[in-house]
Amino acid sequence: MSSSQTVELKPKDYKSDIKPVWCPGCGHFAVLSAVTKALAHLGLPREEVALVSGIGCSSRIPAYVSVYGFHGIHGRALAAAQGLKAARPDLTVIVAGGDGDGFSIGGNHFIHACRRNMDLTYIVMDNEVYGMTKGQASPTTAPDWAKSKLTPHGPGVPSFNPAAIALASGATFIARGFSGDPNGIARLLVEAIEHPGFSFLQVLSPCTTFRPEQKEWKKVVHPFAEQEPTANPVEAAQRIQADDGMSTGMLYRTLVPVWQPDNVATTQVEALEGGFQV
Amino acid sequence: MNTEPSQLITSVPEFLAHAILLERESVERYEELADSMETHNNLEVAQLFRKLAHFGELHAHEVEHHAEGMELPEIPPWDFKWSTPESPESGAMEEVHYLMGTREALEFALHNETRGRDFYAHVAETSPDPEVRRMAAEFTAEETEHVNILKSWLLNLTDAGEEPLEDLDPPNVTE
Ligand SMILES: Cc1ncc(C[n+]2csc(CCOP(=O)(O)OP(=O)(O)O)c2C)c(N)n1
Ligand code: SF4
Repeated sequence: MSSSQTVELKPKDYKSDIKPVWCPGCGHFAVLSAVTKALAHLGLPREEVALVSGIGCSSRIPAYVSVYGFHGIHGRALAAAQGLKAARPDLTVIVAGGDGDGFSIGGNHFIHACRRNMDLTYIVMDNEVYGMTKGQASPTTAPDWAKSKLTPHGPGVPSFNPAAIALASGATFIARGFSGDPNGIARLLVEAIEHPGFSFLQVLSPCTTFRPEQKEWKKVVHPFAEQEPTANPVEAAQRIQADDGMSTGMLYRTLVPVWQPDNVATTQVEALEGGFQV
Repeated sequence: MNTEPSQLITSVPEFLAHAILLERESVERYEELADSMETHNNLEVAQLFRKLAHFGELHAHEVEHHAEGMELPEIPPWDFKWSTPESPESGAMEEVHYLMGTREALEFALHNETRGRDFYAHVAETSPDPEVRRMAAEFTAEETEHVNILKSWLLNLTDAGEEPLEDLDPPNVTE
């Protein structure tokens, strides 16, 4: 990648030449479109952005974007991204993945990334299923979804509420978009990237192959009753309790100090090694 | 469509900024769909989308030609004055699937072109600027031609394009 850019980049310029293998009709295409539009709108040089993911269909997204990318280990996108941001605070770090990646195996990282409040943007493409591994229930799957052979009577346990967990864990920006409205997602992403601190953006992103019934989501999504986000966590908690999970827009935004190590060496490697000598 | 004064297109540069994005995004979407169909081995529909992207490209060039030497406004993606979530000629991704046949793909394209035509017709009716109304009427006539071409393709379709394709080993058999 060249280190300087003088030409104005269009959304298309942020797409790589690797063609997505996603199923035609997959909601994740809309997130790809939104990411490229948001980056072009912000005019971010490609070499100053990193997109970090875990494993899943959604987590393939770094390959399709022409910024630095890291397609890591299942559930560990946030761990890798926080390490990167700690070492390279100058980069705009965007983390992306699915509900399986982020809320099952990566659930603990999600909680602690929210409370650590590093300046990151985390996009979860939520299709309430493990798409890549052929349609098993995820933490956001409804308890009575009985289409997987692994859970023939449905998972039977209440689904995980990402916004509630994010709020309780200390996230400072919480929003939700819908893949039927890529420009709406782009707008939320611009806000999320500009927000200093941990921004969590859940995107309702249908899996056309294993959850074809999600095609109906476009009939039931609606904006949050309140247009403006609140900065009051009590008010945010009330909004989350009143929400049917299908509201889109910005829910919560507040400013608290961002955690960022100062990256000043306090010791020498030799001294550290000395401590391990027996 | 929205007739609020704030949603009317009031100048030629503003109109051309809309028209260029509409045409460009339509081409990009058809290209994306053609790639996607190729990846999923639906070569007939891939070829159709590729052809539509090619025609779109020619039209996009014409529209861009109108804007030569003109300074166009920078509009954020979410502030364009159409009432559709994306630009009106970009087919909605959720409407396609890898087993779609030629008929379904043509109906999808017809729907997109019709939305494009309706957008231009709306501007031709509502813009307070006479030059914008004139240009929009010209673009409406062109889009009407595209709509008619797609209708005739649909009418002339042979049996082969009628049915959705079959996959004897579909991916959505859960394990
Ligand atoms: C450590 C580990 N455990 C399990 C898997 C298998 N695996 C791959 S992707 C995935 C879940 C994918 O679901 P999600 O993150 O929701 O993404 P989607 O495919 O739905 O976009 C699982 C369980 C793995 N790759 N690594
Ligand atoms: S399996 Fe589902 S999530 Fe994966 S690419 Fe296909 S539609 Fe998208």
